[in-house]
Amino acid sequence: MTAAQIIFLITAAVILGSAFMVVTTKNLVHAALWLIVTLFGAAVLFATLNAGFIAVVQVVIYIGAIAILFIFAVMLTRRSMTDTGPGLNRGWWLSAAIALLTFGGLVWLVSGWGGFTKAAPAYPSGFDAVAALAHALVSPEAFVLPFEVASVLLLAALVGAVYIAFQRKGEE
Amino acid sequence: MNFFTEPLTLLTFFPLLGVLLLLFIPGGQKNALRWTALAVSLITFVISLWVFFLSGLYDASNPDLQLVARHPWIQVAGWNIEYHLAADGLSILLILLTTLLTPISILSTWTAVEERVKEFMVFFLLLETGMLGVFVAQDLFLFYIFWEFTLVPMYFLIGIWGGPRRIYAALKFFLYTMAGSILMLLAILWLGIQGGTFSVPQLIEQGGIPANIQWWLFIAFAAAFAIKVPMWPLHSWLPDAHVEAPTAGSVILAGVLLKLGTYGFVRFNIPLFPEATLKAAPWIALLATIGIIYGAAVSYAQTDIKKLVAYSSVSHLGFVMLGLFALNPEGLAGAILQMINHGISTGALFLLVGMIYEQTHTREFKVYGGLWKLMPVFGTLYLIVSLSSMGLPGLNGFVGEFTILLGAWGAGQSGVFYWGGVWFAAISALGVIMAAIYILYMFQKMFMGPQGEVVDEVKKHGHSLRDLNWREIAVIAPLILLIFWIGLYPAPFFDLMAPSVNKLAETFSAAALALR
Amino acid sequence: MPQPQDYQTLLPVIVLAVWACALLLLDSFLIQRKGLTACLAAAGLAITLGLTLSQIGRSSSGFSGMVVLDGFSTFINALQLVSGLLGVALAYAYVKRMGIERGEYYTLLLFSVVGMMLMAQATDLIVVFIALEMLSIPLYVLAAFNRTQAASEEAGLKYFLLGAFSTGFLVYGITLVYGATASTNLSAIFAAASSTSNLLLTIGAALILVGFGFKVAVVPFHMWTPDVYQGAPTAVTGFMSSGAKIAGFAALLRVFATAFPAIAADMTDILWALAAVTMILGNLVAISQTDIKRMLAYSSIAHAGYILMAFVPYGNPAVAPVSIAAGLFYLAAYVITNFGAWGVVIALEQPDGKGLQISDYSGLFWRKRGLAVAMTVFMLSLIGFPPTIGMVGKFYLFRAIIDGGFTGLAIIGVIASLVSAFYYLRVVVNMFMREGEQKIEREFWLDLTWGAAAFLTVAISLAPGWLFYLASAAGLR
Repeated sequence: MTAAQIIFLITAAVILGSAFMVVTTKNLVHAALWLIVTLFGAAVLFATLNAGFIAVVQVVIYIGAIAILFIFAVMLTRRSMTDTGPGLNRGWWLSAAIALLTFGGLVWLVSGWGGFTKAAPAYPSGFDAVAALAHALVSPEAFVLPFEVASVLLLAALVGAVYIAFQRKGEE
Repeated sequence: MNFFTEPLTLLTFFPLLGVLLLLFIPGGQKNALRWTALAVSLITFVISLWVFFLSGLYDASNPDLQLVARHPWIQVAGWNIEYHLAADGLSILLILLTTLLTPISILSTWTAVEERVKEFMVFFLLLETGMLGVFVAQDLFLFYIFWEFTLVPMYFLIGIWGGPRRIYAALKFFLYTMAGSILMLLAILWLGIQGGTFSVPQLIEQGGIPANIQWWLFIAFAAAFAIKVPMWPLHSWLPDAHVEAPTAGSVILAGVLLKLGTYGFVRFNIPLFPEATLKAAPWIALLATIGIIYGAAVSYAQTDIKKLVAYSSVSHLGFVMLGLFALNPEGLAGAILQMINHGISTGALFLLVGMIYEQTHTREFKVYGGLWKLMPVFGTLYLIVSLSSMGLPGLNGFVGEFTILLGAWGAGQSGVFYWGGVWFAAISALGVIMAAIYILYMFQKMFMGPQGEVVDEVKKHGHSLRDLNWREIAVIAPLILLIFWIGLYPAPFFDLMAPSVNKLAETFSAAALALR
Repeated sequence: MPQPQDYQTLLPVIVLAVWACALLLLDSFLIQRKGLTACLAAAGLAITLGLTLSQIGRSSSGFSGMVVLDGFSTFINALQLVSGLLGVALAYAYVKRMGIERGEYYTLLLFSVVGMMLMAQATDLIVVFIALEMLSIPLYVLAAFNRTQAASEEAGLKYFLLGAFSTGFLVYGITLVYGATASTNLSAIFAAASSTSNLLLTIGAALILVGFGFKVAVVPFHMWTPDVYQGAPTAVTGFMSSGAKIAGFAALLRVFATAFPAIAADMTDILWALAAVTMILGNLVAISQTDIKRMLAYSSIAHAGYILMAFVPYGNPAVAPVSIAAGLFYLAAYVITNFGAWGVVIALEQPDGKGLQISDYSGLFWRKRGLAVAMTVFMLSLIGFPPTIGMVGKFYLFRAIIDGGFTGLAIIGVIASLVSAFYYLRVVVNMFMREGEQKIEREFWLDLTWGAAAFLTVAISLAPGWLFYLASAAGLR
């Protein structure tokens, strides 16, 4: 087993374990903290895949901004930090079975795939992933269109969010 | 020739003009509405007479489709759908029956329909267009549109102006009929795609459908038509629809709508799928024979006049089916004539029942009795119609049934019925006798013996039973005339259809010979 | 720099997006009467429709294969713009009556149409994904637009959660497809698919199907539909039920027909089963509904099944053009009929939420002839009964299926139609054959919508040739 594989296995275990804790823990702040662990694990995976930029973005945006926002939101809106309701509903075993079945099915299907043994192609020398990404995002040869559309999309989402959240006079 | 002056186009869509007129008449002016509808339907009748007899456009000695109105309709993207109308000896009598029965039915509603007259007349004229369209359409797509469309107005006629269980009956009528026709839709599509055209004469000419596929297509078409006829065991919607429908609706239902099914067999199933027809003949004949006996037996057990007539229709249409699938000139001609006869006799019977129902509001014939003395005119007419329905020699029913039995006997001998032989004809003859029993039984209960309780019941409401008035006699008179005419001198009627019938039987025997 | 051709390819979409942004600003700072916003939104849609129609017959590709302009996209875009216009017409008086008249309604609607149009033109999975979000997010908000009603909020939230969930499937599928073919471009995927092992590709395609399956409400991914359709403001439901469906099917058709013919053998079976289950279940469950909005929701599920039938023969090059044309025609037929039916529902809906039971339609014919006749036409069209466009659409659809050799599916389809007759006719029974009272809202644009829809439903069925032609000419590039 190579070092990369060992790192992957450890990280994967951490991600799965912490993700499980996110949905099972009753304390909301703890859940948010576990989520940070999960996201951090994902960042580690990106780093091992030579996607340094994405790994940094993952840490800065998902952990630095979004998860922290979660914690703020929880602390500002909730008086009690623990969820008192039951964690599972009556159908939990059904969803568990479906999830397991889907997982098993995917494993079974993918186990026949030949791509596992292939080596990843090496980067050409002097390849700057960040610069390539930057170019791709604004080049008409690549992703400028989705990039621009995404900005319109965000505008629409913003309008929607304001409409939903904005309290007008006369409303309680 | 201009599109709208083509005789069949004009004839088919003329009632729609009436619908348009009716829409501009306020709903409160009931008499204006009635007169308009009557006038339009009478003009339609006159047009039909003009088209076939007076104009000289139609040559009765020509066996082929005539008065052709044919235009490309949807000719893009691999579709080859045409607007194609035509008539021949197979349809001419049915067209005339339709145009005759419609004004008669409208006249019969003069006092029976007091509420929502405008809508009633609109639906009625829509129905007429739909029925005429079915009889003249020669393109499968066009035919399907007319075929399905006839359901809608009839559905409303039963559902709005019907009896207490009208909604149930209307829905049952709709769903039963639709169930059959959706399978036909798939078969039509298959034919249209594989044959490259939806034109019926062209498809018949091309032929060449493999035998095993013919069989499936035959079943799909037969499903639609057999439900409409209705053949035993698919008849259970009919008594409900008849009992709940208003009188005029029953007349048209029995008189014309059921004929759409038998007409479908003779126009589509038999010429389009000759090999499958031969294969199916004994089975259809078997079902028809069961229907004849079953219908007659169940009729005897009924106490509601309309139900009795409904079951007797199952029996009578069994004869028609038996005649059609005898596949010889006698059987086919007898069957077509019997379609007309059944339309006239049963239509007349429903009209008479409607007239008495208007006064007594009951259709249980056991509460009647001794009407002969009170209503002699009514009794006489009722007797004539009853005798015609049971097939008394000298009246129309006898001519049709006798010819059919001749045909069926011949078919049994020539082997068309395979294992059935002449037994179908022999057993069916029993049906005639059974008809005499149940019809005379009903007549006796209603008109003979002591006065029934219904007479007193009516008196309690302050008026006594009256005999028919002039309008009612006028309604029924043309039908009585036809009953005698066909009964005593049927030759003109046979002459009208003979060339086409002979042609069908001929091509048919050629196909049969090729098969053996 | 992008070339002029890039802009030409996307011209209508760009114009509408700019118009929507401008309208947002105008509405916030200048416009006092919200009716004016509606008119401006309609004007934008109409202008874009004009641009789209001027593109008929053109065919080009832009942004290095990210988007394409072809007959297919023009047909779909025209359809989307018409449904946008009808959506505005339905909403115009409805939002006033319900007390939710806000300019954002129309801006969001425009943004959603932008997403729908982009989706029909997308030839890259990334663009498909972004376009899907572009159309969905405004719809989530619109579904929750009646904020003071718990049902509307619930609808919005439910739609959002399940929409996000389905997007997850879609993205996962895109990832796997990328893993298998090293591309997100549809034609590159097609080229790579024929040379590599197809296992990952098949799983990816199946997950993409699941993602779209949620959007177009195919069984078993349909659970959100009745609740969302019922809870959302009715004008939104009307728009959503056609717009989102067309967009989802358009993208699905393009993706499958362009990128995945190599795995048609596997996919055809899956599509066959999905179509059959959707038709059967949608129609069966609709029978037990008493609320007209829920009934129409299940009816829309069932119709998703019919439209999905057009996908089944997609891998057969001889039949695929016919079935695509049939699918397009059916979509057009569905849009007309569906908007008409929702228009009638809006005409009877009251601000207090009354008037939405099927029993509330009792005796409608004897109060208001035109409305009831129109509704009857729509119900017959949804059954597939002549003389309506729905019947012609089914005729075309079943032809494609029979052509492809799937007679079994066609038989299931017609039997499902028979089942559907039962509940559609119940509305007709109530309108004509029972007695009742109801309040009916009269409003010019609303009346025009259902009136025109009813007229077209019948008229096109009698002269469907031109639409047949347009649908069959609307090929994929």
